[in-house]
Amino acid sequence: MGNTSSLLLREDEIAQIQEKTGFTPNQIERLYSRFTSLDRGNCGTLSREDLLRIPELAINPLGDRIVHAFFQEGTGDSINFLQFMQVLAHFRPIKKNKDLKLNSREQKLKFAFKMYDLDSDGKISRDELLAILQMMVGSNISEEQLTSIAERTIFEADQDGDQMISFAEFCNALERTDVEQKMSIRFLN
Amino acid sequence: MCAVHAARPASTDFGGAAIDGNGGERTEKANGNRGRGGRVIERERNIWLRLIHSARRSTLDWHSPSDRCDVRTSATGTRGNDLPALRTKPRPAPPSGLARFMHCIRVHQSASSTEEPAGGSHKKDHDRYPVFSVEFARVETPFIIGLWIFCASLAKIGFHMTPKLSKMFPESCLLIVVGVVIGVLLFHTSSGVQVSPLTPDTFFLYLLPPIILDAGYFMPNRLFFDHLGTILLFAVVGTIFNAIAIGTSLWAVGQSGLFEFDTPILDMMLFGSLVSAVDPVAVLAVFEEIHVNEILYIVVFGESLLNDAVTVVLYHMFEAYSEMGPANILPVDVASGIASFFVVALGGTVIGVIWGFLTGFVTRFTHQVRVIEPIFIFVMAYLAYLNAEIFHMSGILAITFCGITMKNYVEANISHKSHTTVKYAMKMLSSSCETVIFMFLGVATVNNAHSWNTWFVLLTVLFCTVYRFIGVMILASLANKFRLHQLNGVEKFVMSYGGLRGAVAFALVLLIDKNIVNLQPHFVTTTIAVIYFTVFFQGITIKPLVRILNVKRAEKRKPTMNERIHEKLMDHIMAGLEDVLGRHGNYHVRDRFKRFDTKYIRPWLIRDNKGAEPKILETYSKLTMKEAMEYMRRNASTIAAFPGTESMSTLFRNCTQTNMDASFSFTQLDSSVQNLDMQELEYNPSKKDLTDAKIHHLLSEELCKPRRHRRLSYSRHAVNDRDLSTQEVNYKMHMNMRHIISGKHHHKRSKKLNKEGKPHVSFPGITQNGSVKQFTHDYINEMLEESDSNDVDEARPSTSGLNDGPEGGIVFTAKSTPTNTDEAVVHTEDPHPKDPGKRSSRADSEEEAVHVTPTATETVLPWKRDDEAEQCTFPLKQQEFPGWCSNKEYLAYNSPSSTFLGGLDQPKVASVIGLFRRESTVDQEMARADAAILVIEECPASPVPSAVVCGTPPAPPKRPSSARRGSLLELGASVDPIPEEEAGTPESSANKSPPWAQRRRRKQGACSSSYEDFRSNEVGLLVTCGGPVGRVGGCVVGRGGAALSARAASSESELARDRVSRSVSASAATGNKKRRCRSSSSDAAAAASDRDKETQIGEEQDAGGQRGCHASAQWGSS
Repeated sequence: MGNTSSLLLREDEIAQIQEKTGFTPNQIERLYSRFTSLDRGNCGTLSREDLLRIPELAINPLGDRIVHAFFQEGTGDSINFLQFMQVLAHFRPIKKNKDLKLNSREQKLKFAFKMYDLDSDGKISRDELLAILQMMVGSNISEEQLTSIAERTIFEADQDGDQMISFAEFCNALERTDVEQKMSIRFLN
Repeated sequence: MCAVHAARPASTDFGGAAIDGNGGERTEKANGNRGRGGRVIERERNIWLRLIHSARRSTLDWHSPSDRCDVRTSATGTRGNDLPALRTKPRPAPPSGLARFMHCIRVHQSASSTEEPAGGSHKKDHDRYPVFSVEFARVETPFIIGLWIFCASLAKIGFHMTPKLSKMFPESCLLIVVGVVIGVLLFHTSSGVQVSPLTPDTFFLYLLPPIILDAGYFMPNRLFFDHLGTILLFAVVGTIFNAIAIGTSLWAVGQSGLFEFDTPILDMMLFGSLVSAVDPVAVLAVFEEIHVNEILYIVVFGESLLNDAVTVVLYHMFEAYSEMGPANILPVDVASGIASFFVVALGGTVIGVIWGFLTGFVTRFTHQVRVIEPIFIFVMAYLAYLNAEIFHMSGILAITFCGITMKNYVEANISHKSHTTVKYAMKMLSSSCETVIFMFLGVATVNNAHSWNTWFVLLTVLFCTVYRFIGVMILASLANKFRLHQLNGVEKFVMSYGGLRGAVAFALVLLIDKNIVNLQPHFVTTTIAVIYFTVFFQGITIKPLVRILNVKRAEKRKPTMNERIHEKLMDHIMAGLEDVLGRHGNYHVRDRFKRFDTKYIRPWLIRDNKGAEPKILETYSKLTMKEAMEYMRRNASTIAAFPGTESMSTLFRNCTQTNMDASFSFTQLDSSVQNLDMQELEYNPSKKDLTDAKIHHLLSEELCKPRRHRRLSYSRHAVNDRDLSTQEVNYKMHMNMRHIISGKHHHKRSKKLNKEGKPHVSFPGITQNGSVKQFTHDYINEMLEESDSNDVDEARPSTSGLNDGPEGGIVFTAKSTPTNTDEAVVHTEDPHPKDPGKRSSRADSEEEAVHVTPTATETVLPWKRDDEAEQCTFPLKQQEFPGWCSNKEYLAYNSPSSTFLGGLDQPKVASVIGLFRRESTVDQEMARADAAILVIEECPASPVPSAVVCGTPPAPPKRPSSARRGSLLELGASVDPIPEEEAGTPESSANKSPPWAQRRRRKQGACSSSYEDFRSNEVGLLVTCGGPVGRVGGCVVGRGGAALSARAASSESELARDRVSRSVSASAATGNKKRRCRSSSSDAAAAASDRDKETQIGEEQDAGGQRGCHASAQWGSS
């Protein structure tokens, strides 16, 4: 499926992707053209470099992490189109009737959580949070301040007292946030 | 619409323009209304004004605005006085109006000089000085303005005192009713014509801008721009659709002859355009009460703001067209009408944005003159409005975007107090303007110029409602195609139902020239009817409807730290994903703008630029602040739960006062001061936790009372004190004290240096007390010996020639890095641990002793340490500082007296400069003072603070502390890793670097605690010096208390850490304890920072706020 290097997707591939991700064939076609335009090597897969070549992503403070997120599910240094689509499927808006697993609120939160959780131990430690803060805030704020902010944040969310934010605690902290809205992209139809 | 008035010279009269461009009739009506305050002279004045008018009409050579203004002032200023003169000396009309005007003035002058005021009924002799006289005329206009505002506000109070009424009806309805009542009263009591005080000029120039500014300034930017597309769709397309649909429908019905008057299409379009616009004032008034969810709110409200441009253009267009007549309209007129829409809308926006940036830029420089900060915001926004009106742009758009633009930059620049001032002043202005508008609307209803046409009114109301619904339904489904959040049916309904009409339409309809549009009276009446229908019927029913339809309500809350950070993260993720998808959506645009803003705009407009994501910091400081407040409140109430607190606190205060006296004299040294340590009275190692808790709570309680006291005594000058003068005075006081004390210390220091090695160096005794006490305590001794043998043995093997063994006290040498020019060696000898008063410190240096002095600020403040410390990013074990060090330290700091006096001593510490301005190099004098306090006095027997005495880089590099992090890590991490780390790191570092360096590093690790103490001291003393010296005794206890408790907590955690290092087995228990300490310490720290902020609010405000939370973070983290 992912090994297609042809410009057009076959019907059965589209059907398969549609089944797994919930995208409409139209969307799949569009995203596939984007995929192939990103795929400089024309090898049917995307590497990290391919993604990081996007100029805006390169200056995104979290660009590395975002790219990294694409490669968490697949193995190795490249992802094929299905894997690409599976990551993107997290950001489909939630529709009432046909709800797939990938774009549920929990999955969206999980995606955000993984941004922090570098060592994938299921918990955000102080240092992991601090690293993200440093990326986002930049260098103008002293490290002490950031540290205290990070600690304050963990202290706020920490319920079991382990000085880490587990995924459950993370979800709790964002209970009132409209994650469904915030982490959805209106894909072109 | 607003632009219409700008074309005319402003007639600034509130109670009706004296001389209005509209011509004599209306003006005279307006004047008739004005005399309601002084009815006696009203008719006379009318006569007089008619004279003026006739003069004006006869010759128009003084037609310039300034002249008019003069005439008006003469009208208000002289009418009482020279009326008799005019009556008694009737003259033939002068050849020109100007001459006549001059004559009036002359008459007035002579009248006022020779005659008594006409308002008084009593007669007096000309040459007698009147004991009592009445002159209402002079103050009439402002008096009536004031009276109106007063009545309106009074009415507002009234509604809120009747909860049932205000629950059922929106305030706007009630105000209109009150206005109608007043109008009826006025109408029946005053003879002659009655015209509303709500003239278009009054409305557009004075009443509207504050409301719109308030809306723009407090506009949730993010939300607004997220939904900008939808808002624009409704504002532009929706309004145009409504205008044209209403206009053509009325025209079509008019063709059938139902109205019994002619309905020219252009007049109907004109009417349709003004009546179709949703009114921001009415919408705000209703929607603020029903609390619908924010998306709904922003869409309706945003539409009402942005449709101003459309309304202006449509109104002008149709007005001009109807002047031209349908026959003369060329296609080019239509085209220019469409083009003018873009000019008006974009021009207004650009003007607003430019003024917004200018405001940000100006406030960048106001930190010296905090009091006038708020005025810039108001004045410049108002200027933006007027500026847009000059060019016939949309003033509403201008002031809205001015507010939106300036907000972010201004908020970063102005002080906290100014922020509060701006907030409240803006709310007050907008709220009272709104009140007045609705009231005037009510008053304006009552006049005898109505021309009622039932069908016309009914059909207009019907068309307004129907087309609103149709427009919203169509446009919402259109918008839904491009929206992530779909507007559902209920929301659509509320959006259409919330399309209220208001005073804007009314003011516009008043502007229509009756001579051109014959139907103007009908329009006025119908507009009023539509407004009443929407405000009353829809305004009243929307509340229950919202409840019945179960519209998602808004929840008012402040974001938590987690939400703030994670939402920012999500923004970045989404922006990144949009880039991956190659789609440039909202997130992408915002991301772009933010980057641009951070890189180019903010550095120019913000004085103290904090880099990207200022919101995170803002949230943090707000939360910290709030927590501190809550903490205080909580503890104030729980104080009763602690038995014996009262006696403790009394004791505490007394002791401190005594100490104050002693310390101020400074002639007393250690021997003469009694030991006032609180710990001594109550200290019991076994019950340590209990005592801690008690003192902790006690202190937090103490924080409140003296403060209240101070508030009361200083309330009158509070603003001036803080914002203007006192800071300087205090600063001077600081300097004075610093001079005194540092001179003292310098003296002592040199003495000490001379008698090198002599154990007894005397210091102000108070600080000693704590340590004296502690050392006599068995527990401590035990600890001391134990840790000595354990730690020192372990630590010492590589440090040669410096130690005298555990029994001989601790002697160590702190050397600076090789790169440093200064080299400091400090020996602290403690031959007998039980005799804490004996100590010596010796400082060797190639230069004079002054330079040896540690410049504790530099060594202690983490970012000022030199590069060497960078290597130790890992936790360090304080081997050469045995466990009791921190223990003792803890006790010392926990002792209120010593801390307090430490605080007192420290005015000379760079409290203002050093704490908050890390960039500033600390001068030697301060450094000396710091060293004296921190190193030698405060912990005389303890090597820990001596660790502070390190080499002094002359210009310490500024960089974040990594050693600090190490220690934090150690504290913050879970219990288990600590011993390992501690066991592991010293050896590895020992291999890499020379022993002294290693030691140095360890010291720096240890410094963090001292650093915190140092900080808290500073706060304590900052607070201390906030008040006059005379009050210090009473107040300081409380105000310094936060620092105290913070310190207590922090040193407690220090203690806990040492325990961990000593015994791995007890790790679990200690870990728990640590956590407890941590939380309490962060509480206390928050309190301290709050205090800090409060006292600093004047010139140090911005820096103080930031650094304050920074400092609190320091405490909190350990």
